[in-house]
Amino acid sequence: MKNLLKLLSPFAPDQSGAVSVIYELGGLIVICDAGGCAGNVCGFDEPRWFTKKSAIFSAGLRDMDAILGRDDKLIAKLKTASSQVKCDFTALIGTPVPAVIATDFRALKNMAQKSIGLPCLTVEANGTAYYDEGEESAYLELFKDFAVETRETDDSLAGVIGVTPLEFSRIDANTEIESTIKQYGFSKVVCYGMGSTLEDVKNSSAAKINYVVSPSAITAAEYLNKKFGTPYEIISPYIPDSVTDENEYKDCKKILVIHQQISANGVRNIIEKISSAQVDVASWFMMKKELMRSGDFKLTDEEQLIKRVSKAGYDCVIADNNITRALRGYKCKKVDYIHFAVSGRMEK
Amino acid sequence: MMSKAFYMAARNLSDSGLDNVPDEFVSSKHLIYSSPATLAFNSPGAQGFGVKRAGLAVPGSVMLLVAPGCCGRNTTMLSEMGGYSDRFFYLLLDDTDIVTGRHLTKIPEAVKEVCEACEKKPSAVMICITCVDALLGTDMERVCRKSTDYADVPVVPCYMYALTREGRLPPMAAVRRSVYSLLTPTKRKSNAVNILGHFAPLFDNCEIYPLLKSAGIADIREISRCESYEEYLKMSQANFNLVVNQESRYAADFFEKELGIPSIEITRMYRIDKISNQYRLLGQTIGEELDDKKYYNETAEIINDFKNKFGKLSFSIGEISNADPFELALSLVEYGFDVDEIFGTVGAVNFNYIRKLAELSPNTKIYSNTSPTMLYYNDEDCNPDIVIGKDAMYYHQSKPAVAWSSESQPFGYAGVKALFGEMSSALKNNRTAGEI
Repeated sequence: MKNLLKLLSPFAPDQSGAVSVIYELGGLIVICDAGGCAGNVCGFDEPRWFTKKSAIFSAGLRDMDAILGRDDKLIAKLKTASSQVKCDFTALIGTPVPAVIATDFRALKNMAQKSIGLPCLTVEANGTAYYDEGEESAYLELFKDFAVETRETDDSLAGVIGVTPLEFSRIDANTEIESTIKQYGFSKVVCYGMGSTLEDVKNSSAAKINYVVSPSAITAAEYLNKKFGTPYEIISPYIPDSVTDENEYKDCKKILVIHQQISANGVRNIIEKISSAQVDVASWFMMKKELMRSGDFKLTDEEQLIKRVSKAGYDCVIADNNITRALRGYKCKKVDYIHFAVSGRMEK
Repeated sequence: MMSKAFYMAARNLSDSGLDNVPDEFVSSKHLIYSSPATLAFNSPGAQGFGVKRAGLAVPGSVMLLVAPGCCGRNTTMLSEMGGYSDRFFYLLLDDTDIVTGRHLTKIPEAVKEVCEACEKKPSAVMICITCVDALLGTDMERVCRKSTDYADVPVVPCYMYALTREGRLPPMAAVRRSVYSLLTPTKRKSNAVNILGHFAPLFDNCEIYPLLKSAGIADIREISRCESYEEYLKMSQANFNLVVNQESRYAADFFEKELGIPSIEITRMYRIDKISNQYRLLGQTIGEELDDKKYYNETAEIINDFKNKFGKLSFSIGEISNADPFELALSLVEYGFDVDEIFGTVGAVNFNYIRKLAELSPNTKIYSNTSPTMLYYNDEDCNPDIVIGKDAMYYHQSKPAVAWSSESQPFGYAGVKALFGEMSSALKNNRTAGEI
């Protein structure tokens, strides 16, 4: 049955992706839920939560709030909290509850800005989509709301969009990626949302180029290109050594890499240099047509994964162990490629 | 702009009265701060027993979570725990489902497929539904009956309705009812008793077992000690239930109405005089004297030894522990210790403890973990000698600490003895919160 998971467990949802983009930017973030979604985001999908404080709150919605659509009560709570907590902006993140009652986030945004006098960023997540869609919306809203001023181009500055722990399974992913990009000749590298500030976002029009490292970042990069003329380039700057060991693949003829598309493409590029195997890429998440090759495909459900892998006869699957669990009846080499958004595991 | 965490001294909070406590102590009146200290509030399933794990208390059962993917996300963590990886299944809702409720028609077929995927046919399929179905007004009892007929397996609803957390029937009370709902009337045995309240057993060395045996009770059952479905079904033989957690009152109602089994409620406490009194009253109710002198004396001696060894210690007490933080604080104050601060949720039941604390320790600071101002909690404002509870540990990483949140449950004298034993060990070895 479609949408029935018998071997896999659910992946990080859109609200987690949205929060991961704005976590470090000094906002007062409200997850519009009854509590469970905030608990999931913080307790499971946001590894920085244990080491880096962020003003994340649950709206604490109760049944009558939802039934009666008490938006004014939510705004009143937000106003009180903004008087108690230092913040540069507020953010309202959707979950299934506002989705079911059709909350008007545009109206909420206006009400919040009028009442509090601070910018309010909204992401209409609904908990049924994956993290990458939440990230995509959050990046776009972030740049639309805060990158409003055209600043003089700084040739030494490169922007990076798409770095989150959900994508790269490391709490220090930004430092690793920054040092790689500095080798391209930039003295200043900013990973928006990780190791950076809201001021960096406001200054994004000064970047000479934006590097896109996750599919969720493409829309925002296109927006910045259109608004400020900043060019962008899609790159895969970080691949863990554990998935590029030549010895692993010397006897393989057909390999499938499952991850977020840009990283998976990066793994393919490396393997193709060290092996003659045919390498295909698949993802549960965004698969941009322009980045796909013949043989690549989007994963939609557990049964389809099993069927596609057996039919194609892959002799090696590179994917998070939580995904290869679904292939336990299929005999092939399985290489663990940790994806935090899938299993909640970190590389280190 | 407030730059300090909000608190009230016990005396002031008591003076305000339960009906006039400040908004910071009323979770429905403010945003809920999401910190590691509030994980158990926002996401009970993330640690210990939440609805999902609790629903699997029925031996041999499996769970089908019918919800948007986000509701099952932290179950990935549960699946990695021993024994759970093959017991969780998910029917994920898409955006059309959550508006139209069309997913309900798929559930019987999904239950059937789940049963077919199991190596051994499950004893029951627990259907866990969430806020979406709460808002859609789903009649899950009807869907479960239909699924039972279609898949030929008992199907039971579990309501993970976070939206009703402070309502008449909170999710953790509802799931306590769900896990007993498969019991049917059977011949009662006068020497059989159930203990209701938790999803893990009381401490093996809890005196309640020998005390009940001394009163002629041969079969003492707890759902977590039932190794098979057949053993679980024998819970309907009980002469009466002992309810050790108020959240089981709704389950006790079920036993009374559907199985004719009455219940006696007893409470976990840390004041040994009160524990003794409770056993005396329990004995009177069941018509047998429960001789607890030995346990009382042993416990009193342990407390005295601890006091002699460590002196007048000061405590920070959290609510993420196997205790009511206010009752525990009151106990420690009555034993002669200082309690500098308490992190707790103020309610009708524990307000009585706050009143007594106000008399004995009026300056004890009381914080609400969920207040947004807790973002600014500064551990330098309090210098306790030892902390109890996972939340207090989060705030005082460098202090000797006892998490006091094991799955097996402390109760009675055995709980008090174990707590003092753990505190003694933490202080002796300087085992700090950060190390735990």
